[in-house]
Amino acid sequence: MREYFLRRLLLTIPTFLGATLVVFVIIQLAPGGPLEQQIMALRMAMGGEAAAGGLAGQTGAMIPESALQELRRYYGFDKPIWQRYLAWLGVWPREIESYIAQPGRPRNVGEGKQILVRKTPSGYELIDPATGKPVSGWRVEPQPSEGGQERVRISRVGFSGILTGDFGTSYVYREPVMKLILERLPVSLQFGLIGFILSYTICIYLGIQKALSHGSPFDLVTSTLIFIGYSIPGWALGAFLLMLFGTQSFVELFPLGGFQSEFYEQLSLWEKILDRAWHFVLPTIAYTIGSFASLTVLMKNALLENLSQDYIRTAFAKGLAERRVIWLHALRNSIIPIAANIGYIIGLFLAGSYLIELVFNIDGVGKLSIEAVFARDYPIVFAFTVLAVLIRLFGAILSDLVLALVDPRIRFR
Amino acid sequence: MRLRRRTAASSAPAAVGSPTILQRRWRKFKSLRRGYYSLVVLVSAYVLSFFLPLLVNNKALVVHYNGQWYFPAVKSWLVSLPLIGGLFGTDFYSGEQFGQVGNSAECNYRELKRQYELEQQGNFVILPLYPYSPFEDISVEGNVPFLAPLQVGPDGFVRLLGTDDRGRDVFARMAYGFQISLSFALLLALLEYLIGVPIGAMLGFFGGRFDILAQRLIEIWATVPFLFLVIIVASIVRPNFALLLLLLALFTWVGITVLIRAEFYREKAKDYVAAAVAIGVPRWKIMFKHILPNSLVPIITYFPFSVVAGIGALVSLDFLGFGLPPPTPSWGEMMSVGLQHLATGKWWLMLSPMAALFVTLTLIVFIGESVREAFDPRTFSRLR
Repeated sequence: MREYFLRRLLLTIPTFLGATLVVFVIIQLAPGGPLEQQIMALRMAMGGEAAAGGLAGQTGAMIPESALQELRRYYGFDKPIWQRYLAWLGVWPREIESYIAQPGRPRNVGEGKQILVRKTPSGYELIDPATGKPVSGWRVEPQPSEGGQERVRISRVGFSGILTGDFGTSYVYREPVMKLILERLPVSLQFGLIGFILSYTICIYLGIQKALSHGSPFDLVTSTLIFIGYSIPGWALGAFLLMLFGTQSFVELFPLGGFQSEFYEQLSLWEKILDRAWHFVLPTIAYTIGSFASLTVLMKNALLENLSQDYIRTAFAKGLAERRVIWLHALRNSIIPIAANIGYIIGLFLAGSYLIELVFNIDGVGKLSIEAVFARDYPIVFAFTVLAVLIRLFGAILSDLVLALVDPRIRFR
Repeated sequence: MRLRRRTAASSAPAAVGSPTILQRRWRKFKSLRRGYYSLVVLVSAYVLSFFLPLLVNNKALVVHYNGQWYFPAVKSWLVSLPLIGGLFGTDFYSGEQFGQVGNSAECNYRELKRQYELEQQGNFVILPLYPYSPFEDISVEGNVPFLAPLQVGPDGFVRLLGTDDRGRDVFARMAYGFQISLSFALLLALLEYLIGVPIGAMLGFFGGRFDILAQRLIEIWATVPFLFLVIIVASIVRPNFALLLLLLALFTWVGITVLIRAEFYREKAKDYVAAAVAIGVPRWKIMFKHILPNSLVPIITYFPFSVVAGIGALVSLDFLGFGLPPPTPSWGEMMSVGLQHLATGKWWLMLSPMAALFVTLTLIVFIGESVREAFDPRTFSRLR
């Protein structure tokens, strides 16, 4: 068993690499990516006179080659795609930061540090002006001089990528992506976990009741409701609920989105809890609906199947109470398929919620990511896809693990 | 136990006695009334939706002007037909052609009708049942933004479901949106099958190292958060109908592949396959002529759910503004407009597309559920 899960864990590595490669290649190769966007923006900024002169479309004619090269370098497009992917992973050296400096003058290189480039007969040497000692880990390249001034590019090269925990810096927020995501994770997690727990408790109970009254009006009505819920995307239901209960048009019961009230900080603890709950009702319904149908039907069918087994007949025959037979004997075996779904459902809650967060204007990871798509903030977009891939991968393993825990008959090999 | 499907020709003498398995399944399906009536309603609505240009259109059905007959709506219907629509040229008639003085743009048939009635010169116009198109907006006279449902517009016609922020008719957009959504989802499901079924068949049939390798690739493909990725790509490339179809099919074929693979895996161990191999039937023939008809159950039962997923994906993309290009009437786009104007009490902008989506999806799920029960009666009633 341990061997099996060890193998599963090891197998996630190629799958992770493959999935991220697919995402990376598709996004990078799609025409109109970040580089083209920037070139477009530059062209717009440089004025429309050339476009009016019939030069539209000839980018090269307008933007100087040096600027183009600078852009390609910034986005890493000066290297082949496999190098870009490896550098993004963090297993290929890449330029972490670079500055244009003038020899003989100290250059600020961030975090209050300075570097002095000094010309030597053999080339250049880099010195920390504060200590006077040579600096290591930096590379120097001469640049074409500008206005008679000699210039060099100094750059630090190293391994930095998603494997080293570096998801890059957001183009929009100018902050590390990791920090942005961590800031918003608690909000998303709260919704995800509450939705997850609620859907499991309700679905298991509902599934049992439906199985016990199979074919009754209650069963048929709830089935119909469940099918309706199954067919509708969670975010669409959320928008519908907002229309019904979030505005004055019908019944104004709940707030029109958001995570907490504006004056949340001034509330007492009890009022805070109520306020949060008030904001949570509609989004939680939207979250839950996605997994509701499959879980309930799964539960119902598993229980029905078990109730027709011989060991249940035996239990009844030897005179056990009906409650005991159902809740202790049949239920324990019927829980198994539901438990096996846990990993998948968790993935659904954590990574599939961007549309719901957008509809309800909840400042979670999902909203951050989908807005990053709008703003073409690629580092955030990449980080979110990596996160989603990881959640799916480990969700699948978690499912198997739970399955092995609740069902001793199952032997993974 | 699964019987071979008999063709109509070979079963002609015996048809009186025992129904074929498909006949029996069809009877079972018909006996499940919820699903059967859902199918009847949905198919009728879908067939009807192909005649939308004759029913819901701002172009007149008939214009009788100076002794001549014109049929602009019929023309626009012919133009709207898939594949052959391009043969019919344009459905454009300028206002001046029909005597609307000074209107060189598209003729406004609602005004034309009023004009002819005032003139009393024997000219007349017959408008479609609901005289608005999903495309005309505030730039056409008589269209006012944010008319409430059942309110009468300035041109004297009732707006069943009101108008949106650009004065476009919500009912017309909703109706045309139905056609587009369902067509898109059906085509997507077909495309998925075209990719997924052969791949699944090969994996299940050949097995071995090829299968193991392909399984890994499929796992990778299934791990990619596909809707998010499609959203990203669509936000970069701005797709049209065909490209969006391809893009989604590229990621959604995996579902049916896995099912077909399992089915082929099971079937290939059976005697009839061994017999076919023994008498030297070529492999592709065994796969597609012998095994495939026996693997119909997952193929057919998965289809409705695949359509539901297709509509859901399209609506999500349109909602974000990365779906079909802008003037296209789509429920997702209508919902995003509705969401923007929710706080100001324009509830009908949200309710109309939402109701259409709910009803359509629910009908399909009912159909799917009944199909599953008719084809696969072993389980009670299981969703995917």
